[in-house]
Amino acid sequence: MKVFLSLCALYLRSFYNLPGKRAPGTKPGAKELLKEAGLLLVALLAVANVGFIFVMLNLALYDALAPAGMQGMIILNTAVVVTALTLILGFLTALSTYFLSDMELQLLSMPIKPRALLGAKFVAVYASEAAFSLGLMAVTMVIFGIKEAPGPLFYLWGILASLLLPLPVLALSYLVQIPLLSLARFLRNKQAILVIGGILGVVLAVGFNLYFQSGMAHQADPEWLAKNFAGPDSLIARLGQVYPPAQYAWRAMTAPASASGAAAILAMAIACLAGPALVVALMSGMYAKSLIGFNESHLKKLDAGDARSFIGRRMRSSSAFLSMVKREIRLMNREPIYLLNGPLIIVLMPVIFAVMIIVQRDAFLSDPDMAGIMALLDSGRGALVAGLLGGFLGSGTSIACTSVSRDAKALPFIKSLPVRPADYLLAKLAHALIFGAAGSAVGVGCLAYLAKLGPADIAIGFLVAFGLSSLLNMGGLWLDTASPRLRWDSPMAALKQNPNSVIAILGSMGLMGLLGYLSFTLGLGRAEVALWMGLAPLALFGLLYAAFPRFAARRLAAMET
Amino acid sequence: MIELEGISKTYAKSAVKAVDGLSLKVDNGEIFGFLGPNGAGKTTTIKLLTGVLRADSGSAKVDGIDMAASPLEAKRRIGYVTDNPEIFARLKAAEYLNFVADVYGVDSATRQERIGKYAGLLGIKDVLNASIGSYSHGMKQKLLVTGSLIHDPENWILDEPMVGLDPKSAFSLKEIMRERAASGKLVFFSTHVMEVAEKLCDRLAIINKGKIVFTGTLAELKAREGSDESLESIFLELVDDGEEAAS
Repeated sequence: MKVFLSLCALYLRSFYNLPGKRAPGTKPGAKELLKEAGLLLVALLAVANVGFIFVMLNLALYDALAPAGMQGMIILNTAVVVTALTLILGFLTALSTYFLSDMELQLLSMPIKPRALLGAKFVAVYASEAAFSLGLMAVTMVIFGIKEAPGPLFYLWGILASLLLPLPVLALSYLVQIPLLSLARFLRNKQAILVIGGILGVVLAVGFNLYFQSGMAHQADPEWLAKNFAGPDSLIARLGQVYPPAQYAWRAMTAPASASGAAAILAMAIACLAGPALVVALMSGMYAKSLIGFNESHLKKLDAGDARSFIGRRMRSSSAFLSMVKREIRLMNREPIYLLNGPLIIVLMPVIFAVMIIVQRDAFLSDPDMAGIMALLDSGRGALVAGLLGGFLGSGTSIACTSVSRDAKALPFIKSLPVRPADYLLAKLAHALIFGAAGSAVGVGCLAYLAKLGPADIAIGFLVAFGLSSLLNMGGLWLDTASPRLRWDSPMAALKQNPNSVIAILGSMGLMGLLGYLSFTLGLGRAEVALWMGLAPLALFGLLYAAFPRFAARRLAAMET
Repeated sequence: MIELEGISKTYAKSAVKAVDGLSLKVDNGEIFGFLGPNGAGKTTTIKLLTGVLRADSGSAKVDGIDMAASPLEAKRRIGYVTDNPEIFARLKAAEYLNFVADVYGVDSATRQERIGKYAGLLGIKDVLNASIGSYSHGMKQKLLVTGSLIHDPENWILDEPMVGLDPKSAFSLKEIMRERAASGKLVFFSTHVMEVAEKLCDRLAIINKGKIVFTGTLAELKAREGSDESLESIFLELVDDGEEAAS
């Protein structure tokens, strides 16, 4: 048991990048506290965002169902949503953490029972699932609780149900993955898993978006909501009927003080705990075996003649700066975590917006606000809106604001090379600007297509987008040069868990909002938009660019890795 | 030629001096071994010498060029093999070598000749098309060695170069070291392997707790200690003395 608990602690720390115990007598510095508070705020913002959508949907559903006395169906709806979402997230998390690192091989060499290995990993993945489930169920419990005043047992059963619901779906994830990864050799590779997981994640994110958008599009149509989310023929009701744990949760929470409620929660506990217990008991051996030889790679060797011609063909000189830019692009685009959360945003965000627009087309067209927006676009504001959209897309790749952190492992080597610190860091900026230009073009292009903008608006829109994204990318590079994250175990930490990327994205959102507000308030025309939002940011970019080399040299010299 | 003069370094998050007033001079044509227990300050010294770290005080000169005053000039004269080959896993070996050659401004014909020579000697010529991430630790080490020689540096500095190398490659590396020293170039390397230092080095230095405890030839070391034992035994005694003196 002690080994199991130690493993749980180890996996939890590795998965969630938790800090270790502080040395006795040491206190966190102001900078560290500020960073922690910032990360907490960002986490709250992210949760609040999803939570808000879920609150609105639940409120609308409650109002739609209450007149027919079917308000209890929002609990079944939540139970099914929790099940579906934890299945998706759990499957992806279990897959991406199936083989964490070579640390797993070290663990295999120790006298640890396979059950402890699989059980501890299950617990670590389950921790985030449980928190997510509890968060969603809490929304429903609060709404239902305020409206119906159901008594304390309702909340107890609700908490228990939300903790139990992710268990069987996570067990199902392992039930599928363990045999799959045992048999399919090509899957026993971290790179392949990250790519497959990333593609699945994108598809599921779009699907999830589709689901919510379809609900939000009919927020003002209670009949549609009742029929599609809680009617007897709805997908939710059908899923609820065939999935006993969701049914049990619904029964327990709609009759909390009754014997049938208690019986339902007991049945739910048995049903939900059986899956993980069986998987851990029966499949641990297979799981441990599947870890052996994970990440093994096979080198394709050239014969002597081919090697000679390869060197002659491929070893060609080019400029040092161009070579550094190519290195930046390759290192980012070949790391799946970086690609998916960085440059791919340029493609992914327009796809998500396209889904939203297609699904909500009728609602959009009939919305009076939309008519106003279309009128604004027609009245010469198209360039501004396109510019702000393109600027956000061009600066949302997190390339510049994480560039030093991502390169932390290579810094000692880089610093030994005869390269001016400014050139090394400006290669990172060049990388960001290339994708900034691409993001600007995609953003402006999409709006130009939708709003049928003319050539002048497109040109001004691109000027604004490129000017703003360049300025933000330069700012991001300053930020990550000033305060990079130099110590990390997983590449993910350098980008996704880097406060600089969060600051950059929130800063970009804030700047776009502020500029939009100012331009509407001040009634700026096309020429003024081009001047103040295109040329002025480029001038500011130029000033920051000119001041950067001295700052870069000083900061890079002070970095100790 | 490399010259360290009263160089000291304390890391930002530490109160202890990792390198404390260290002075050292290595001449061209020498193979110089840098020995010391773990945490003695070997890697920090090498990082100060190669311009990776900034010294708190003292100076590091390469061929008479001050690293702090003219870092680019000084670095051009160095080939450096880091102690951690786990870099650039996502690049292909050929891409890495081209990157290094571009940075040092090596033309196409010269880089092709040198890569062919050293990658061939170290046995990685047939896998230059592969991703570095698929390399073993030893292969990565060989790639770093090849990359460090691509510009034919006057001063070759290697941090623990034998770690992870198979016997044949270790032999080839030692041969390359001898060949370079014979042609008047400097070879400076740190190691834990006493036998290698004993057989290969013209001179050596022993560092303990950030300070040099000996510099000279093996014969001078034996004479000073009044011992005819192996380098390993003398090294252990010296390091132990340092521990006792400290306590």
